[in-house]
Amino acid sequence: MKKKLLFLIFLILLTGCYDRIELEQQSYVMAIGIDTTDQKGIYAFTYQIANPEVGSAAGQGGSDEPPTEIVTVNGADILSATYTANSFVSKQITLDHTKIITVSEELARDEDFLRVVQSASRSPQIRRGVQLVVTKENASDFINNNKPLMEKRPHKYYQFMLDRAVQTGIIPEATLHRFFQITEGDADLFLAIYATTESSEDKTNTTRTEDQYIAGEIPQIGGSPTQFMGSAVFKEGQMIDILNGEETRLAQMLDNTLEMDSYIATIPDPLMPDFRISYNYAQKEDPNINVNYHKDKPTEIEVKIPFQVEVIAIPSLIRYSQNKEFEHILKKSITRRLEDKTEALIKKSQEEFKSDPFYWSLYVRKHFKDVKDYEKADWNKKIYPIAQISVNYQLDKLEYGKMIDDSKLDKVRD
Amino acid sequence: MQNNGFLRTKEIIAITLILIGIKLSDSTPTLLAQKAQNGFWSIPILSFVCIFPGFLIMLYLLNKYQDKNVVELFEAINGKWIGKILGIVLFLCAFLSLTLDSRNYIEQIKLLYFPQSPTDMIYFIFIAVVFFGAKKGIEVIGYTCWIAIPFIKVSALCVLLLVMSEIVIQRIFPIFGAGLPIILSEGVKKASIFAELFFLLIAYQSAKKNTMFRKGITFGTVLAILEIILFYLVYASVFDYNSIEKIAFPYHDITQFISFGEFFTNIETIFMVFWLFAAFLKFIIFIYITTWIFAEIFAIRNFEPLLLPFSFLVIMIGLLPMNSATNELVLRETLLTVMSPIFILLPYILWLTAWGKGDLKQ
Repeated sequence: MKKKLLFLIFLILLTGCYDRIELEQQSYVMAIGIDTTDQKGIYAFTYQIANPEVGSAAGQGGSDEPPTEIVTVNGADILSATYTANSFVSKQITLDHTKIITVSEELARDEDFLRVVQSASRSPQIRRGVQLVVTKENASDFINNNKPLMEKRPHKYYQFMLDRAVQTGIIPEATLHRFFQITEGDADLFLAIYATTESSEDKTNTTRTEDQYIAGEIPQIGGSPTQFMGSAVFKEGQMIDILNGEETRLAQMLDNTLEMDSYIATIPDPLMPDFRISYNYAQKEDPNINVNYHKDKPTEIEVKIPFQVEVIAIPSLIRYSQNKEFEHILKKSITRRLEDKTEALIKKSQEEFKSDPFYWSLYVRKHFKDVKDYEKADWNKKIYPIAQISVNYQLDKLEYGKMIDDSKLDKVRD
Repeated sequence: MQNNGFLRTKEIIAITLILIGIKLSDSTPTLLAQKAQNGFWSIPILSFVCIFPGFLIMLYLLNKYQDKNVVELFEAINGKWIGKILGIVLFLCAFLSLTLDSRNYIEQIKLLYFPQSPTDMIYFIFIAVVFFGAKKGIEVIGYTCWIAIPFIKVSALCVLLLVMSEIVIQRIFPIFGAGLPIILSEGVKKASIFAELFFLLIAYQSAKKNTMFRKGITFGTVLAILEIILFYLVYASVFDYNSIEKIAFPYHDITQFISFGEFFTNIETIFMVFWLFAAFLKFIIFIYITTWIFAEIFAIRNFEPLLLPFSFLVIMIGLLPMNSATNELVLRETLLTVMSPIFILLPYILWLTAWGKGDLKQ
């Protein structure tokens, strides 16, 4: 009797092995690329699969396997394509650890884009924290060309690269979670990361400064060919335009749901425009966004942005720190420049995009009793494009770094 | 029989918290959001307002008719036959909620953690564990709940803290979601999301002192409702009004989404352990009190042998719906809507009858 019972217990326990799968039998996909094909409804899916042996302490003993395996298959959606891919990938493809989904610009601009990316949200395997990257070339080319020199392990590479770029604000934080919220909310614009491995021919244009590029335009020499810069603008789940790094930064500064601490930028020296002053822009407080909704006249949106500046370099050697009047001019020109740039971006969004990339529809919602009223008022058709927007930058603090004064040019060269 | 009456206030609180409070992590929020969009977090408040006065009347009546549990109370007030019919209604409500709820939990476990395993197998193992737990009797259950509650609540608190950065408060606006009339009517219609309180009354005698039971269950309910509202607010402000109604299991979606720093990214299994533990406890309590109600109606004094056939029935009936969407959005919704008027009105009817008979005068 006891033996029978024991046998039964073990039988029950064994059913726990249905989902048992050894680590060794799984291959972890780090990046998924999606491209269009000639056939409607069929897409090319590229999977970058990490080799867990590379870069781990255990695998030091001269494993000459490559760090990743990249495969491309055609299929209707992400999950069914993984099964096709499994016909030539030896291990079971697992999407749990996917870091980014890259999409070619061609597909992102296609109206069917939402259909293919929807299938990602349905699967419990793909997390809502996956970042969405739009690439200038085909996503499969992007993944294949992306050969990081310093960081061979793909999961670390993507994580470090994106974290760093998001910190400096040149690309937005673009999780799938945010994509669906904004797209389903049907009011604002979603910004996805823009990247490429192809450099553009237009590199002669050196008049632009540090962040006025989009990916591919940065005149780099050496290093990995991959550039993450700027953002792809999505309206109603379809890509409509590209913002450069500078505009992306501004958009993130105005968006309270995104976090960006500080970045370094330059402005022409107000007193000697041949030189540029570089400064560290920091935003310690969230901007104050106030939306006064009016039913029958244009809505007023007031934005106040407190910020701090630390001047890093003054190549013109003008003594801004010593002279109250000069300092005032500098303050004014920094504020003015930020305001001008922001106004230009807002104008562009009102006139070209007819909606905002700042997630400001959140602030008008409290003026409505229920969703029906709110949707009837129609943020991106009736409210935002004609709204009167005033942006005020308020400089809280101006520091000069660890040097009070620069060396005096006339004294050095006497 | 283990229901000799040695539960104390803290164990009653723990039982109530687990039975009611776990509603924050199943599909109930989605069910409510389907109708009320982002205003769904206020529905539990309304439901609570609808059902709680009646529940207090029940406690008052139980106090008046000393030494009786809820089924005996029905019989004492309405006579043997009507009392038994009321008992059967109570039992059917409890049993159907039990089966539909359990299917919902099985679907969560399967979809999120064991996608390859067949549903019936997970169901069988889950209910088997529940059966062995329930077999231990109400005192062991109560004590286990009391021990488990800190772990379960701390894990929920961790989820709350980690998701903090994703919350955008403005998303709770427009404040009435799909509209005030819808929220009001849904609040009344879904009042029975607290129906478990009435089922728990069967255990009235199991506390050391009656005051302990009353104090424990009242306090536990208030805590649970606060917790539920807090989590629903978080769901509404993390997802948006269009997204929340599409997400079947918001709690699990959140645990998948959050990460603990940059190194610990796929951490949902940690929370799954505690959630699963809470789910086991919930169904242990649930299956135990359902069987108990049944036994009281037919005056079966030693009812624990009944647990096995009931567990089996739960699996068989629970497997009937085609998929979790039908189970949740059609069957469970209908059941909640049908149960609500019963539980809102029943206490007042009982009270009036008792008052009419002059039983309340002593």
